[in-house]
Amino acid sequence: MNSRSLAQVMVVVRKELVDWSRDRRSIMTVLISSLLAPAIIGFMFSSLASRQRQVEDITVPVVGAAHAPALIEWLQQQPGITITDGPSDPEEAVRTRREDVVVIITDDFARDFAASKPAQIRLVSDSSSQNTRPKVQRVRALFQRYGSEIGSLRLIARGISPVVSVPVQVEDVEVSSAQQRAATILGFIPLFVMLAAFTGAMGIATDSTAGERERGSIEALLVNPAPRSAIAGGKWLAGTATAMLSVVITSALLFALFQYIPLQDLGIRFQLGPAQLLGTMVCVLPICPLIVAIQMYVATFAKSFKEAQSYLSFLMMAQMVPGMMASMNAFPAKAWMYFVPWLGQQTLLTDVLGNKVIHPGVFVVVAVVNIALAIVAVRATAGLFVREKIIFGR
Amino acid sequence: MIRIENLHKRFGDVRAVDGVSFTAADGAVTGLLGPNGAGKTTTLRMLYTLMRPDEGRILIEGVDAVTDPEGARFHLGVLPDQSGLYPRLTAREHIHYFGELQGITGADLAHRTEYLLKMLDMAAIADRRVAGFSHGERTKTALARAIVHNPKNVLLDEPTNGLDVMSTRAVREIIRRLKGEGHAVLFSSHVMQEVSALCDTIVVIARGQIVGAGSPDDLRRQTGHENLEDAFVSLSGLGTDGSTDPHSAQGEAGAAS
Repeated sequence: MNSRSLAQVMVVVRKELVDWSRDRRSIMTVLISSLLAPAIIGFMFSSLASRQRQVEDITVPVVGAAHAPALIEWLQQQPGITITDGPSDPEEAVRTRREDVVVIITDDFARDFAASKPAQIRLVSDSSSQNTRPKVQRVRALFQRYGSEIGSLRLIARGISPVVSVPVQVEDVEVSSAQQRAATILGFIPLFVMLAAFTGAMGIATDSTAGERERGSIEALLVNPAPRSAIAGGKWLAGTATAMLSVVITSALLFALFQYIPLQDLGIRFQLGPAQLLGTMVCVLPICPLIVAIQMYVATFAKSFKEAQSYLSFLMMAQMVPGMMASMNAFPAKAWMYFVPWLGQQTLLTDVLGNKVIHPGVFVVVAVVNIALAIVAVRATAGLFVREKIIFGR
Repeated sequence: MIRIENLHKRFGDVRAVDGVSFTAADGAVTGLLGPNGAGKTTTLRMLYTLMRPDEGRILIEGVDAVTDPEGARFHLGVLPDQSGLYPRLTAREHIHYFGELQGITGADLAHRTEYLLKMLDMAAIADRRVAGFSHGERTKTALARAIVHNPKNVLLDEPTNGLDVMSTRAVREIIRRLKGEGHAVLFSSHVMQEVSALCDTIVVIARGQIVGAGSPDDLRRQTGHENLEDAFVSLSGLGTDGSTDPHSAQGEAGAAS
């Protein structure tokens, strides 16, 4: 490409960017999609945090506390537990979600307890309610612990080692912990950042191809003595700039958001600091040119803006599949995945955010692969600008 | 100067342009006259290099437009059939965009833009976005950007189509001025009055073929009709007797126009 063509590329870039900056629809798309990620992730974390708090400090309504003063006293000594008087109709209270769980100490409790018979405690809960399950489990565990403590004391009183009564010991390894859930949420970050690249690219990718066809301006444009590659290239570079802008805004907002999320309180050792922010950029920015190039190629086949948008929404879904699968951990990361567009970004981003050490060469190779593929797609688009069906077909 | 020789273009079974040859000389206005679907637009599209002829030669300032389309485009200013504008850009920005693509920059571009805005009486709308423009204002903008680089050859596809009286006059004014400056102007029209008022040479095209060419006087003499419109009707085979229509079985050609 000679200097004249290069100058023409820059002319097209400038025109497309000016045009784009005046397009309220494109600007709004970028802004909304950039805000979407921090908003959703922020919401997910704050609900997770409040659920966690709910488990840590719980209030347990007890009906018939007078029947078991020793038990109540033991409960009150447990950290984070507050005992209140239970409602008059416990089942109704739980059914209407006024209470998450209600403990009923039966009238016969004291008599049975004194006689070393199983003394009954009723736990009223709603197992269909996901949110209250951790709390119910916590309360149940409290009683189990109380039960085994008393049981052990009774065995000791009878001269038997309590260990005898524990033939099998079960140790719970909870994988669906708060950390795990938080990791799932964090897994959405790469997805959102990629989405930002996609929506940021869409404005110019459709307006400068299908839009030119719909307005009938492509004929006049192509009569100019500029190589098709210069025109396609200019549009591509302008689209790349907006896609990158969208990625930068989204990442920066996520970065800002994570300065306010009390991840430590959730027991998560995750940070989105400057290093991760930089890693995210290095990882995602090189795919922006490819996203724009492919969108442009596809949108050039569309005769109108609307048609282009429906093509691109299919494209978006297709692009999101590897990301979804990766965030659901459907398959373990393999070396070749790094070099496949989208899949590679997803895998690499997960590594970056997980603070894995990555060889800088991987970033370089990933970038080179993506940009090379992008150039192939831009050349293909330039080829479409020669087709009579594309130029004149309305 | 534009010379085309034996130009052919077919779409499927339809011979849209079927052996067209003519010359558009410098300092003259050449009118491509024909009914709708005669092959005018297809001929012009091949001339401005966005359509490839199946056969034939196109020379623009001596540059072969088929083998070197980009080189040919240097000498062309075109108002195409579809002259869509960018709604979010102003008239001035349209002129600048095309001027810069032609390689004109800085003071030259500013100068030329001012000249065109004045010539087309567009000063009042120069810095307004074209989204709200009338048809006439849009045509003027498209015309201004098409000739921003002062091209030797100017092709206009039905430039006055749908324009009001004042805009039509402005376009005619431009055509005369370009002629006076020594440009070769080629424009297509299906309106007799338009062509007769402006043209030095008229090329009558019907069903993809040239059915008559020459000055208005030549055409009158050829057909024996004193009235130019009668001459046109007779040449293009639109007459009711059908005797002058050798292609009646062929149907309307020029699917693209």
